[in-house]
Amino acid sequence: MTDTKKLYDAILNGNAKVAAEVTQAALAEGAEPGDLVAQCMIPAMDEVGRLFEAEEYFVPELLLAGRAMKAALEYLRPLLAASGAKPSGKVIIGTVKGDLHDIGKNLVAAMLEGAGFEVTDLGTDVSPEKFVEAVGAKGANIVCLSALLTVTMPAMKTTVDALSAAGIRDKVKVMIGGAPVTDQFAREIGADSYSENASAAVASARKLVAV
Amino acid sequence: MKPRERVAMSLRREKPDRCPMQVSFTPEFAARLRADLHQGGAAMHNPHGGGNTYELERALGEDLLLTSVGWANSYYANETLGASGEAYTDEWGVGFRNQHYETRFGPGFYTEMVGFPLADRKALDTWQPPDPNRPELYHEAERLISQHKEEYYIVGVTVTTIFETAWALRGLQQMLIDFSEDPPLADLILDFPFRYHLAAAVRLVKMGVDMIWIGDDVGTQRGMYISPLTWRRFFKPRMAEFISTLKAINPDVKVAYHCDGNIVKIIPDLIEIGLDVLNPVQPACMDPEMIKKQFGDRLCFWGTIDEQHTLPFGTADEVRQQVLDRIEKVGYNGGLILGPTHHVQLDTPLENFWAMINTITGTERGSVHMPGSSNPVVTA
Repeated sequence: MTDTKKLYDAILNGNAKVAAEVTQAALAEGAEPGDLVAQCMIPAMDEVGRLFEAEEYFVPELLLAGRAMKAALEYLRPLLAASGAKPSGKVIIGTVKGDLHDIGKNLVAAMLEGAGFEVTDLGTDVSPEKFVEAVGAKGANIVCLSALLTVTMPAMKTTVDALSAAGIRDKVKVMIGGAPVTDQFAREIGADSYSENASAAVASARKLVAV
Repeated sequence: MKPRERVAMSLRREKPDRCPMQVSFTPEFAARLRADLHQGGAAMHNPHGGGNTYELERALGEDLLLTSVGWANSYYANETLGASGEAYTDEWGVGFRNQHYETRFGPGFYTEMVGFPLADRKALDTWQPPDPNRPELYHEAERLISQHKEEYYIVGVTVTTIFETAWALRGLQQMLIDFSEDPPLADLILDFPFRYHLAAAVRLVKMGVDMIWIGDDVGTQRGMYISPLTWRRFFKPRMAEFISTLKAINPDVKVAYHCDGNIVKIIPDLIEIGLDVLNPVQPACMDPEMIKKQFGDRLCFWGTIDEQHTLPFGTADEVRQQVLDRIEKVGYNGGLILGPTHHVQLDTPLENFWAMINTITGTERGSVHMPGSSNPVVTA
C-alpha cells in the first residue's frame, strides 16, 4: 500500500516528480481522489502557508510546493470532476489592466488551488470586461484582483465597478492584493477583502465563502 | 555650500547646511514637471541618468547627479531601440513591451519585460552577453563628470547589478526555481550581469565618479522573497567582490545599494561587506527611524520618502510632515540623503511634489497651477 504521507512530504518539499508518482500509485491501488485532496494535499499546502507566514519558507519554496501540488492535481482533477465533487469555491483571478507583475498572483492562485478551490487564472493585464465575462462563464463566487503598481490600482476600482454595472457584483466576493494595496483601499473601492499575502488570501477566501 | 560638499559631509555623518536631496522621475512626470516649470529640453528622460540634460535636477536643487551604464538603461530604450514603437528587444535579447496605465493626471506607460532569452537553457549554447568595454557606453559619464563634478556629487549607476538582470534573462520564476534545483546553472547566469556591471563600475570609478550605486530587489512588503540563506549563498559573495574591487581602485569611493522592500535580515551582512549607503529604505516596509537606531552608526541612508502611499495619495501637509520627521529622526547627525523611494510617478499631485522639494531645500516654490504660488520658479 502506498504511504500517502509521502504525497504530503513531496508537496511540502516541492518535489513534483515524487508527488506525481505517489499520486499515481495511490490511485492505482484504489485510493479515493477526494481523500488524497482532503488528507494530503490541503494539509500540505496549509503547512506551506504556515511556514511562509513564519518566514521559514520564501517565494522559491512556495513556487516549488505549488508545482508539486499541481503535478498531483493533474491526476486527481479529472477523477474529481467525474465524481461530481464540489470545489471549496470557484475563483477567477488575474492582474488588473495595465499590470504585468504576476508572481504574487501566481502564488495566490496556487495556494487557493491547494486549498481545494477551482481556480481560473486569466493571467496578466486583464480588462474589466474579461473578468465580468469569466465570472458568468465559470459561475465563479470569488474574484481575485492583483496590482503591484500604484498607477494600476485605479484599474481595481474600474473592475469592481464593471462587476456592478453587469449586475453580478452581489454574486461574487471580490478579494484584492498587491504591494501598494491596503485594507482601506479595499473598503474605498467596494472590495470585500484585502490580503497581505498568499496564505492570508486562503484564509480570507475560506471566510468569505464560509468553507 | 556646494551640493557635492553637502553630500560628502552627510556621508561622513556630519550635519550639513541642509539635508542633501536626490529625486528622480518617470519620463511622464518629467514631462509634466518640465511643462510646469516652462522648461524646454529633450522629451526623453532616463531617471537613472543615461542621456539626461540634468536641467530638471539642477533647477530643483538636487545635490547628486546620476549617470547610468548597464542593463537598467534598457527600461528606457524604447526611443532608441523601438523607434518609439510599442515593443523592442535590447542588446541582451530581453524583449520589452509598453504597458499602458491611466492616472487621474493622464496616461503613461512602463516598459515591461515579455521576452527572456535564456528561458530555455539550451540558448546558453549560442547566447553571448554584450561587451561592457565599448567606449561609447561611457561618453555620457565623461560629459557629466567634466561639466558638473566641480559642483555636484556624481553617482555612477549600475543597478539591476546581478539578480534583476539575471532574471530578465531567465524569467523570474525559473530563476527562483534554479536557486533550489540547479545552483550551478543559477551561478552561471548570475555571473553574466555580475561581470558586466563590475566592469562598468570599475571604469566609472577610474573616470572619477564619487559613488557607485548598485541594486537588486530581493525584498517584499514584509520580508525577503528569497531566504537570507539563499541570498548569502548566491549574492553576498558577489556583492562583497564588487565592493572590494571598487574600493581597491579608490578607497574613498562610496557604494550605495538599492533594494526595495523589507531586507532587515541582511543589513548586517551588507555592512560586513563594506556597504556605505542603503537605498531606498521604503517606509511602508521598514521603519527608517528604527533602521537608523539599529544601523545608523555604520550605514547611511538614501530615500525614505514614501512613494507607495504619502506622495501619490497623501496631502501636501502629510508630505511636509514626513520630510520634517525624517530630518529630525534620521538626518539629525547627517547620514541621510532625502528623496522618494522610487522615481516620482504621474499619480503624484504637483502640490505634494513641491511640498517635498520645498521642505527639503527650504524654498517656497510651487506649481504655476497652484493658487498662491510664488512663481516664476527660481532656478538654482
